[in-house]
Amino acid sequence: MSDTKNEWGLLVPIIPFLLVVPYLKFLAGWESVEAAFLIVVVPLLTFPVILILGQLYNGNETWKNRYKEGGIFGLGALALALSITIWIIYDYIAGSAHFEAHSVVNPFSWLTFDVIEQSGTQWEVNTGFADIGVGVWIDSVTLMLLFVATFLCFLICWFSLGYMNTDKINEDSNHRFYGVFVLFAIGMFGMVLADNFLWLFIFWEIMGLCSYLLIGFYYWKESAAYAAKKAFLTTRVGDVFLMVGLLILYDIYGSLEFAVIFEDPSTGVGGALVDSGELFWALLMLFIGAVGKSAQFPLHVWLPDAMEGPTPVSALIHAATMVNAGLYLVVRMVPFVDVHVNGVAGLEDFALIVAWIGGITAFMAAAIALVQNDIKKVLAYSTMSQLAYIFTGLGAGLLFLNIGEHHAGYFVIGASMFHLFNHAMAKGMLFMASGSVIHEVHHAHDHVRELSEKYSTNEGDDHGDFDPQDMRIMGGLASRMPVTATAMMFGSMSIIGIPLIGGFWSKEGIIAETWKACLDEEPLMFVPALLILATAGMTGFYMTRMWLMTFAGPPKSEVVGHVHEATPWIKEPLIILSIITAIGGFALALFGAAEYLGDPEYDHLSFHGILDTLEHAFLPEDINLRLVGWTTILIAMVIGPVMASRIHGGRLIDGVEASPLVSWLVNLSSRFGSQDVSELADSQLAEALQRRLYFDDLYEIILAKTTTPLAELSAWFDKNVIDGVIKQIESNSSAGSLQVRRITTGSARDYILMAAVGMLSIFALVWGVGA
Amino acid sequence: MIEASWIAGLGVILFSIGLLGAFTRKNAIVVLMCIEVMLNAANLNFVAGASHYSDVDGWVFTAIAIAIAAAEVAIGLAILLSLYSTQETISLDEANILRN
Repeated sequence: MSDTKNEWGLLVPIIPFLLVVPYLKFLAGWESVEAAFLIVVVPLLTFPVILILGQLYNGNETWKNRYKEGGIFGLGALALALSITIWIIYDYIAGSAHFEAHSVVNPFSWLTFDVIEQSGTQWEVNTGFADIGVGVWIDSVTLMLLFVATFLCFLICWFSLGYMNTDKINEDSNHRFYGVFVLFAIGMFGMVLADNFLWLFIFWEIMGLCSYLLIGFYYWKESAAYAAKKAFLTTRVGDVFLMVGLLILYDIYGSLEFAVIFEDPSTGVGGALVDSGELFWALLMLFIGAVGKSAQFPLHVWLPDAMEGPTPVSALIHAATMVNAGLYLVVRMVPFVDVHVNGVAGLEDFALIVAWIGGITAFMAAAIALVQNDIKKVLAYSTMSQLAYIFTGLGAGLLFLNIGEHHAGYFVIGASMFHLFNHAMAKGMLFMASGSVIHEVHHAHDHVRELSEKYSTNEGDDHGDFDPQDMRIMGGLASRMPVTATAMMFGSMSIIGIPLIGGFWSKEGIIAETWKACLDEEPLMFVPALLILATAGMTGFYMTRMWLMTFAGPPKSEVVGHVHEATPWIKEPLIILSIITAIGGFALALFGAAEYLGDPEYDHLSFHGILDTLEHAFLPEDINLRLVGWTTILIAMVIGPVMASRIHGGRLIDGVEASPLVSWLVNLSSRFGSQDVSELADSQLAEALQRRLYFDDLYEIILAKTTTPLAELSAWFDKNVIDGVIKQIESNSSAGSLQVRRITTGSARDYILMAAVGMLSIFALVWGVGA
Repeated sequence: MIEASWIAGLGVILFSIGLLGAFTRKNAIVVLMCIEVMLNAANLNFVAGASHYSDVDGWVFTAIAIAIAAAEVAIGLAILLSLYSTQETISLDEANILRN
């Protein structure tokens, strides 16, 4: 694929989409908040257009080359969503007068139930009891997530133009991809903007549906269909609990509107004081929903299999946006526990559960990631692990808030949200970079196969089991794919938490505050705190290992020699995100993003956070925290990567030079000597990690022991009881009809007789009644 | 002037003859004729009633009934013709393919 012709001209159709915001602002005179609903509505209109046009013009040359089978339309709609988001953020940061601390725009009410209630002996109709509106809720967390979602949707759609449309296997089915992609965007944008829990739940389910459809995009592959089912059903378990949680919340507050609930979470419907026990169960149910969506222990099994989908889908849904929905839901719980403003005291247990789940998942996922050889599986487990960091941070934050330490609480929640931002940017980019690697390796493999077929007439298909995602066939790609290697280096650094780069600031905040919670407040926080500290080192190991296995050392198969970074549309998102992960996190940290995202009273981004942030990161006052901070830096930056280098590091082959941005890393990796780990790799522990700690097997066994017999029982019941009743009715009627048939002799005289007798009977009857 | 009850009585006798014939005869044409006899017995009753009550409704109704009976005979004969052309019989005992 040396198809490097300039395709920028294709972007012309998206220009009208970009002109919408200037038009609304300067000519129509709209406020940015009024335009917020367009973020959802425009993709909603675009998605059927893509699908219908795709069906009509499938295979048409113009549709395929000019409009990229609908990709250009999707890109336009997402560009519009992104531009509106940036407009709102600009207004928000500039302190436009139209925002309060939270901004709710509630254009119209959607559902209104009348409820009949008993008061004394009277029944009376209570009109407008449940009033569920359609509205938009905007605060700093919304805007941050909205920016992450729109920005990454846009970039990944762009990336897909290169990734999906140049693959033969996707030919003529890309409109399905872009249609569902845009539908997913609706779900994510809508969930973030929703101003009540019901809409949040509806959009949450739309995302679940799209996740299912996109994982199963290659539905003819058995593994993909299985993975799609697994993802859908596993998240469904969480969603059922989420719905129960919403019902309990409704029972407590008599409404699901954020505005009503967050006005005063300590008083429920009718001014009654909220019982912390009941609220605990509501929040726990919501949290189980979040656990399912964000792939945390014990509902984590679907995420690694979800990598069966196309790589842009993994980047978008299973790394950067949808899995953040669970985190968003937990952040929305902050007002419930914040005793500083109207929260309900006595929910420390809930905070501990959140932190523990986070800690366990972080460690477990990182351990499994240590031994994976599939480049996307490493990233999948890394995603789980990093999301678990955020859950741990949120748990610590909720704990602080619930016992009144609101400064620390706001800080760690802000740090968690900031980590969400950094992780989404870095992981979205890492997945796109891995997609770039997979794509190019795949094409190189096709190329090699064509060459070999030219010289041999061997009919045997020995390429059938070729896996372009296996890192064991790569190596030495740093010289062949400079942009991808650089992007992946910055992404890995951000995930590892190399000081001054993106993820460091937020991860440091989470670890330090979790330890602070453990040391100062709650000894039970020790386990999650210790686990995420250890995970920091493991992250350093597996991210370095992935990079080195892919890009450093001598090539491990002949395919590598034919790799070219040539596909259009793929590099631009990588370059943009490289810059953001490299310096964006630093810049935001200096502006005090962590405080800003967490604290509702913190007004504007400002420079006065610089010294605080640096001091918090490197020289906190508490000597214990200083120890923890430097330990983190030591194990994440030195021990983990050095161990990975000893095992997988190495120079490129002689005469080949990588680009200067990454060659220092390749050369550095060869300095630490080498170590043979084959003995360790054969151990039982490695085997257990390879088998994902047997969770999948365990669930299979449990399902085989419980659900399968239940399903068989239901099948028996259906076949024998339900069908039996129907069949009995059927056989009785057919036997009855045999009896009835006897009187139809076919002889006209008998019918006349019957008619006469019947008639006379009627006369007799009428006469009798009349008399 | 004959008493209306005598005319009604004639109607009853004619109706009974028609009914008996329709039950017992197996020639379809005869059965059709019996049905006509029954119809006319009914018409006779209308006429009797009309003359008894000096009401014109009965006459009108009889006229309509005779017109309809003419049409009915045409249809009945057409059925018998097609019966004969397909079954080669007009015996009601043998035309029993709708049995059971």
